[in-house]
Order: sequence, then C-alpha cells, then structure tokens
Amino acid sequence: MDTSDPAAFVNGGLLHMHVGQKVRAVIQVIRSDVGSVVGKSTDDIQIIVKGSPPIPRTNYIEVIGVAVNDNSIRAEIWTNFGDTFDAYNYDQLCQLANGWFKHLFL
Amino acid sequence: MSSNNPFDATSAFSGGGFMPSQRQPSRFADSTPSPSKGRDSQGLIPVTVKQISEASQSGDEKSNFTINGVDVTNVTVVGMLFDKKVRSFNDIRFHLDDGTGRIECIRWVTENSETRQMDEIDDGTYVRLNGHLQSFQGKRQLVAFSVRPVTNFDEVTFHYIDCIYLHLYNAKLLTQCQGGALTQPQLIESLSNTPVHTTSNGYQTPSFNNFTVDVSPDGLKGFDKLVLNYLQQPSNIEREMGVHLKEISQQLKSPIEKIKDAIEFLEKEGLVYSSIDDYHYKAVEGC
Repeated sequence: MDTSDPAAFVNGGLLHMHVGQKVRAVIQVIRSDVGSVVGKSTDDIQIIVKGSPPIPRTNYIEVIGVAVNDNSIRAEIWTNFGDTFDAYNYDQLCQLANGWFKHLFL
Repeated sequence: MSSNNPFDATSAFSGGGFMPSQRQPSRFADSTPSPSKGRDSQGLIPVTVKQISEASQSGDEKSNFTINGVDVTNVTVVGMLFDKKVRSFNDIRFHLDDGTGRIECIRWVTENSETRQMDEIDDGTYVRLNGHLQSFQGKRQLVAFSVRPVTNFDEVTFHYIDCIYLHLYNAKLLTQCQGGALTQPQLIESLSNTPVHTTSNGYQTPSFNNFTVDVSPDGLKGFDKLVLNYLQQPSNIEREMGVHLKEISQQLKSPIEKIKDAIEFLEKEGLVYSSIDDYHYKAVEGC
C-alpha cells in the first residue's frame, strides 16, 4: 500500500496551491491545439492541459498529471467522464478536499 | 448459517452465557458478522485509501481496523484499477488507485459471471470496489467481493463526498452541527424578542451554558460565534446579497463596532466573506 503519490483535486482557482505536484481536474475542452488543449475547469477558469485527449472524447474529461504552473497541467492520464457530469458538485468537492477535509485525501 | 457451523447459536451455545457474536468475522471466508457486533461494521464504509492507511488496529493482524473510532471490516472504494494480474483461474490481483493512494486488491472468482466481470475490466478503468479490509504480512489489502466499472462519473464525486460525510458523522461533528442548527434560531429569536438584562454598556451578553455550537475547529469567542451563527442560519445562507452589518447589529442588539470586530476576526478565519460590498457578509458554507 502506498500513499506517497496522491493527486490533489483541483479546479482552475486551486491549481496554484499544487504547482509541481500531482493533481486531478475535470475539464471541458474549449479548443484543441497541437500537443495541448485549452479546457474550462469546473469553476469556469481556462487552463491549458499539455498532452493529447482521448479519441473519441466526451464533453467532460478528467486529467491527472503534474501542475506545471498556476494555469496549466501536464497530463499523464486522460479519462472520459461522459457528456453529462455535475461540474458544480465536483467543484464543491475540490473546495472541501483542499480545505477542512484535506487530511482525508493528501 | 448452516447447523454444521459449531458457532451456530442454536447448537453449541443455546442456553450458555458465551455470545456467538464474539467470533472474529475475518476467520471465516464466507461468514457474515452477527448483528450484535455493531451496526457500523455491518454496512460498507466508504473510505479513501489514505483513510485505510491511517486506520488503527487494536491488536494483531487478525484484529479489526478502526477508523474514527468505528470498527471497519467491509469498505467501499472508488478508483482506477491498475496492474491486473491473473495468478490462477480464480485468483486475480490488481492495485486500486483512488488518487489518495494505491492498495493491493485480491479478487477470488468462483463463478463464471465473476470471471466475465473481471475479464471486461482493463487497466485504467474506474471501478467501484466493495471488499473486506485485511492485513497480511504487514501489508493492508482489500479482498474484493464486488468489482464494477463506473459508468456514470458522478459516482466518483459522490464517493468522496460520502467519505467526507461519514467521516464527519463518526467524528460527531455532524451531530453537533445538527443540534446547533436546531438551537440557533431559538436563541437568536429570544435575543430579539424577549427582554434581557442589559449590562451597563447598553448591550446584552448572552450566556452560552446550554448552547453547543462549537463546530469550527478553532474555538471562537462567544460573541464571534453569535455573529457566525446568525449568518449560518439557512435563511441567511440563501440570501445572495448577504446580510448588512446594520441588520446583524439590530438583530443581535449590539453596536456596529462590535459586529465589525467579530466580522473581521471571522473573515480572517475564513468563516465569512464580504458579498456585494464591504457592508454585506455571508457565512462560508460547508459546516
């Protein structure tokens, strides 16, 4: 059992708290460029995700990777999270998991 | 349980003082814990791998785990399946990574349907795993009795919220919060309606002897708590614009300077925030 490499729940606003660390976020792809995408996080902030999303992809995608700076993630794992997803709930979870209940996660 | 089971209450222990519920469930591969063992160990406890790693064990490897003072034997976790290895036709091993940690899992398959279920799950699939927590040669493992792929990913969000909820419930904060919410409106109402002895300063200082709302992790002074409680009332939480300082001052029958001091402290603690302007405030939600 190994808890040395957790991935913190982040949205655009919380990314700055985990620069250089492993993070996870759910995004909606706004624009695809070569080698990266521009996504909208669950708190409606645009972030850059380096890497290539899965094909085919759904509306919501979870990315797990390393936070490069306070608005971009270098993705290692992409997971389709479906076309319908409760982004508000997930965003609230991000707040809780980085706030009072951080000790249950990191 | 079958009557061949020597621990069946109707045979070996009928009329005796020995409680059959004292048997350890982990010794029996397919036994179910008796109801008198404790309600909380019967259901599936939603946990994160981090919580599992920090669970305490009362004795040796065979003893039960404890999380938040609750006996934990069967758990439910949601995470990504990795490193699936089929060791034999009925022994499948894999790791589950839920973002808080990785734990080794064992799935014993005895029926074709179970084998088919595991065949369909590849590395990288999000799964809901229900299983029994055990310790073997110093390592904590999950013996899974159900592994199901996640199809609606709101389940992922739900699982972590479920973990937080149960953590709060078992840590008794939730019950205090509910108790506090019931008494708050009564106290605030009594402050504004019933005549209370005023001190020489002209404002009242209510006593908190029978009032337990200590739900914040750091102890707040009485008056700060009063202001916070007022803002935490559901009717005030719902007000998008927040509550004006003057209103708090009128409702709590306290001078506006005292309210401002309390608000300043609460804001620093991250418990309230200003909404539409510097005179309107709202309580941070998530008691």
